[in-house]
Amino acid sequence: MSVHTLADLNSRISPPRRLARFSRWTGTFVLILMLVFAFFPTVIAPYDSTKTVALPLQKPGRENILGTNDLGQDLFSELIAGTRASLLTGVIVSLIAVFIGVIVGLASGYLGGWVDALLMRITDLVLVLPFLPLVILISVYLGPSQRNIIIVLSVFFWVGPARLIRARVLSTRSDTYIEAARALGANPLQIMAGHLWSSVRPLAFVQVVLVASASILAESSLSFLGLGDPSGKSWGTMLYFARASGAFLSDAWKWWVLPTGLMITLTVLSLGLIGYSLEQGM
Amino acid sequence: MKNFSRRALEFSITFFLAISINFFLPRLVPGDPIKLIAGDAAPQLGKERIAALRAQYGLDKPLSEQFMIYLKQLAHGDLGMSYRYSGGKTVVEVLSENFRWTLLLVGASMLFGLLIGSALGIWSATRRGDPIDFGLLSGVYILRAIPPFWLAMLLIPIFAIQFHYLPAGDSYSIPRLEGWENVKDVARHALMPILVLTLAYLPTAFVIMRAAMFGIMESNYIRTARAKGVPNRWVVLKHGLRNALLPVLTSFMVDFGQLLGGVTVIEAVFNYRGIGNMMFEAVKSRDYPLLQGGFLLFTLTILALNIITELMYPLLDPRLRRTA
Repeated sequence: MSVHTLADLNSRISPPRRLARFSRWTGTFVLILMLVFAFFPTVIAPYDSTKTVALPLQKPGRENILGTNDLGQDLFSELIAGTRASLLTGVIVSLIAVFIGVIVGLASGYLGGWVDALLMRITDLVLVLPFLPLVILISVYLGPSQRNIIIVLSVFFWVGPARLIRARVLSTRSDTYIEAARALGANPLQIMAGHLWSSVRPLAFVQVVLVASASILAESSLSFLGLGDPSGKSWGTMLYFARASGAFLSDAWKWWVLPTGLMITLTVLSLGLIGYSLEQGM
Repeated sequence: MKNFSRRALEFSITFFLAISINFFLPRLVPGDPIKLIAGDAAPQLGKERIAALRAQYGLDKPLSEQFMIYLKQLAHGDLGMSYRYSGGKTVVEVLSENFRWTLLLVGASMLFGLLIGSALGIWSATRRGDPIDFGLLSGVYILRAIPPFWLAMLLIPIFAIQFHYLPAGDSYSIPRLEGWENVKDVARHALMPILVLTLAYLPTAFVIMRAAMFGIMESNYIRTARAKGVPNRWVVLKHGLRNALLPVLTSFMVDFGQLLGGVTVIEAVFNYRGIGNMMFEAVKSRDYPLLQGGFLLFTLTILALNIITELMYPLLDPRLRRTA
């Protein structure tokens, strides 16, 4: 047996697997960076993002590396502070949505019959409703706040996971081990919570990641439309104020609009990459 | 035809649901609807004035009766008056003025998004595993992560402010130009929003087409066609694409409810005169009837597109013709 060099070993890994590995590491690296920003904003940010520290609408300089916003707050500090709201929204929405999705998917797939028919009709209805216009409508009545954005996004985002999990359940429900459990007298709840859940668990985890990525993107759109908490710091809100103060009509777009959107893109992309690599590994 | 009538029933239920959301949402929210209507002026109103307003909006009647009145008005095409225009404009008037602009943006970008996305998807699927596939897939992944409204906010300073190449917003120049000049003017205004929306729709079409072609290119009849010596291009386009069209169109339409809404944000960024921007403006002025009308129109558009797709199935798949 000859000794394999590292390059030798690498060439044996097929492109998709190499791609999945690259995606996983890049995604994880960016996500860890964002988590550090979210948990320890004061360590990285030079200023308190809610305090006026300089003249408004300053260009980037030694004091403020990305300049200041229309209230004279440090834009770089604001950027770091916004990480928490965006990540938090993504995580909470995805947990709620996948939780509902798992329950609906399990019930629909395993119980079948009228339960399945009813639940699937509901998912069809949710899919046909125009997402953003309805969200605008609901937010207007509930009032702009981060909590309402979370509620509204959860209402929409359980549908995708529910359908996928139902499909997986349909393909495993007649497996012999499920049949054996049924023959031994396990009730439907035990089968769903025990056996079926463990078979859909990997799928549910992937969905948590992917839904988080989608909801961070959606959250930024909603906050950008002014439906988020106007006093809270999030990337969408930053872009809302950038637009409101005409930042993109001047040179300010380079240090106000550009970095903020890059943060959103990087976060969404990192979660997408992790989701992709998990999917490939399944 | 059985399938079609079942779909028709589903569509009517969805439409009814949208109508009901419009009716119940304002009434479910905590707080007095009069306060919503009167806004900041509410505290100054006396008891009698509030009672009069209640009677005027029919809020003193039981909920079921209110719902029947609402349905009756809707059947007559009456969506109420918009609050914003003091001169008095009905919601239907405002909607019909704005709808054509949304239709222009959505129609063009859906067409381009589907065509370009599908073409790239086919290309990627036929080059599975090689650098072209990898490059296209990575490109689409990145594109998917970019917020479209942010892309718009970057295009405006570059193309409109820096180079003065395209207008920064609105749907046409004021005063409006005449004839051919007007057509060119409208196209110039629509170019950036259409570009952004095309890029937003493209990944969905790409992903669906790529997956559909993967499945099909490995099937037996493709192998047979290849074995017969049919040229590669012909195998892909005639045998492959022909069979991929139906699933692609179906999946694209399923996602369309989510995609169509995206136009709202883009219109807002470009200050374009469509329904989305109108809703955005209506949020600021708390113009509830207009908001509800906009939502209803979006729902109707999606349903209409779904019905059109449904009717196109027999054209795309001969197997469906026999049963019809």
